[in-house]
Amino acid sequence: MAFLRSLTTATAIAAASALPTAFAFSSSSSFKSSNFSNTQSLSFLSSPTNRLGLTRTFASSPTALHMDSPTSDYNPSQDGSLPDLLTEYVVDMKCEGCANAVKNKLQTVNGVKSVEVDLSNQVVRILGSSTVKTMTEALEQTGRKARLIGQGVLEDFLVSAAVAEFKGPEIFGVVRLAQVSMELARIEANFSGLSPGKHGWSINEFGDLTRGAASTGKVFNPSNEGTDKEPLGDLGTLDVDKNGEAFYTGVKQQLRVADLIGRSIAVYETEDKSDQGRTAAVIARSAGVGENYKKICACDGTTIWEASDKDFVTSKV
Amino acid sequence: MQAAAIAAMAAHAILTVTTSQHTLLAPFPTNPSTPAVLQSSFRGVSLKLPCQSLSIAATVPKKPLIVFAATKKAVAVLKGDSKVEGVVTLTQDDDGPTTVNVRITGLTPGPHGFHLHEFGDTTNGCMSTGAHFNPNNMTHGAPEDKVRHAGDLGNIVANADGVAEATIVDKQIPLSGPNAIIGRALVVHELEDDLGKGGHELSLTTGNAGGRLACGVVGLTPI
Repeated sequence: MAFLRSLTTATAIAAASALPTAFAFSSSSSFKSSNFSNTQSLSFLSSPTNRLGLTRTFASSPTALHMDSPTSDYNPSQDGSLPDLLTEYVVDMKCEGCANAVKNKLQTVNGVKSVEVDLSNQVVRILGSSTVKTMTEALEQTGRKARLIGQGVLEDFLVSAAVAEFKGPEIFGVVRLAQVSMELARIEANFSGLSPGKHGWSINEFGDLTRGAASTGKVFNPSNEGTDKEPLGDLGTLDVDKNGEAFYTGVKQQLRVADLIGRSIAVYETEDKSDQGRTAAVIARSAGVGENYKKICACDGTTIWEASDKDFVTSKV
Repeated sequence: MQAAAIAAMAAHAILTVTTSQHTLLAPFPTNPSTPAVLQSSFRGVSLKLPCQSLSIAATVPKKPLIVFAATKKAVAVLKGDSKVEGVVTLTQDDDGPTTVNVRITGLTPGPHGFHLHEFGDTTNGCMSTGAHFNPNNMTHGAPEDKVRHAGDLGNIVANADGVAEATIVDKQIPLSGPNAIIGRALVVHELEDDLGKGGHELSLTTGNAGGRLACGVVGLTPI
């Protein structure tokens, strides 16, 4: 018992120090998201009490029940839909009318359960099972610029979201991983530049790209989970269309995003994963909900609307 | 005590199941003929009540209950849109300081700010990487300052050929534990970091180091 307690305490300490933004919910004095404390429109951000209140609201809604239920209760094959997740965007909107337009548009999207808009911070927070791709497209259709800034659930996982970016020169792609419950992760991936047909892909044990995919080790397979035949890190195959593009969404049982940070995702030339991979990208920490409201890059004045994964300075070199 | 026991056990048993919940990296076995899977171990314990954990966190000792029994290694491959590129390797023995070996090529001669950012996500450039990694909520400074972001690694200096080689030894960038830098982004900047002392309005946040030249995510690597 004492053993368990000490472990729990250590974890709590670890979690609390690794997630400084958790403080922001109750202490408005110190952190960058503290400017949220003077907005009443997003009640769930203004105090811990309200935040928990929101949890209750979600939990009592039948559609969101599985957010808090154990993994084993979740059966992805029931209707093929993904588990619910909170996704945050910064959207370029400046008036109440625009905010309502954005909200109304998102509410028509299949899988969206609720939408909260914080106009003063230009933040839109969406709860639902929709893919990032669908929501981004819906936001684009409103004619406003939008940028994904965080994903996760209301439970504070140590690491709730991760991203692996494939930066070319031939194959480009983004893989997003989000922790849905203790032992279930949601995966969404977009690729371009692959040869048409089937390509195996996997989570590999190392995030060492010094020799490309060749230095990423074997398929991730923690000794206590999965089997030799199907390691935990085996993601199956990607179906690449004739344009060289692939889109994937799915869930993976027993996958804990925190365990994957610093490892890699590799894509193979064929379905055979025993070959060395064609390309790989490191699984990086990404912001959870409410963890990153940075909208301007102080280092050079770039705003979020100008930013991309390629906004490197090249002129002076 | 507990952590020590777990570390000893794990080092012994080639990681059958690590029960330690508070390290990102389990200790590595020393026998090279049995390459163990890097077993990390957060079991997704959720903390539903930040208000409760606050009281604990407020009294967190600087070094939580973590004992490591081996060398840890990480590597970041830095790339940008220009010809700037490089490899940064990081090693840490037990819970000692982390040694950072930097080799970056294609730079303009002179000093360039070198920082570690909170997130390794660059899908939205400098925005999605968040701020300089700053778990202790400090202002920007030099690596040797008391008041600094953990991610403030100062400047690296490129020679006339545009090559910057440096070895940085730093205590604030561990490779495991709650403040582990695995999965975060290393960024090399266009300009010199003024180390918080330039008097510019940006000095205390970013060191006024200009735009990004290249960046890379810190990844796990075999020993």
